[in-house]
Amino acid sequence: MDFLLTGGAACGKSTYAEKLVLGFPKPRFYVAAMRPYGEESFIRIKRHRKMRAEKGFETIEKQTDVDEIELPPHSTVLLECICNLVDNVMFDDQGNMYDVTDRIISEVLTLKSRAENLIVVTNDVGSEYSDYSAGVKAYVQAIGDINIALAQSFENVYELVCGIPVVLKGELR
Amino acid sequence: MILVIGGAASGKLDYVKSLGYSDSSISDGFIGEEPVVYNLQALVAKDPEKAPGYYDELVGKEIVICDEVGSGIIPATREMRDAREATGRLCNRLAISADSVIRLVSGIPVKIK
Repeated sequence: MDFLLTGGAACGKSTYAEKLVLGFPKPRFYVAAMRPYGEESFIRIKRHRKMRAEKGFETIEKQTDVDEIELPPHSTVLLECICNLVDNVMFDDQGNMYDVTDRIISEVLTLKSRAENLIVVTNDVGSEYSDYSAGVKAYVQAIGDINIALAQSFENVYELVCGIPVVLKGELR
Repeated sequence: MILVIGGAASGKLDYVKSLGYSDSSISDGFIGEEPVVYNLQALVAKDPEKAPGYYDELVGKEIVICDEVGSGIIPATREMRDAREATGRLCNRLAISADSVIRLVSGIPVKIK
């Protein structure tokens, strides 16, 4: 089975994603895509690690190219999150920007074909009024395009609102 | 307690007033004696660290109204990021205790719990 979880910041996506994963047997893998940057991300990573502690998760640190991950049969995988995957390859230190939309979609779909169950966390980055720079506009567009493509391929799509899963596609598990 | 959420200008206050509450029963941006707390996100933004401490009083209210603030690009300032994070986490807890959670979309109340 596969699940795409979307929603804004701090809406309970990670907590719910882990609950979903625990409903499937081991082996369970957590793909950590966040590249730590600054104190806040360390706090967030610490919180997420604590949540996974003693839950039978094996953590795979993979910040790019998630299609290279090899999995044993019948694996359940939690990938968190699409925004991090995009962040890690869309911009480089020299200020260059790359078109990564098709690449990320293809990588995630490859991962989906290898995992028995895949839970992917993404983010709703488009729902606000703001006069973005060209780079940020391109970033919002990329995440939006990836979300649409993944939602079309995934069986179940939920939006998390105040920790409550709202079914957008499929059925509530 | 009923938790009423939604984006800015989505019709939350009009919805609550349609339930029979008037301005005199609503505290706006603070927790008063009134049965309704409005603009919880504004209260949280004043000092995000205090947000978890509001929980006990809020669950005792009839209605809590809060903007959904988590969507969009990560804010540029630490203050705004902390406020956004604290608002989301407080609402997650309130939603667990709430009898119902109503989300306003274009003025339409969607019962999500």
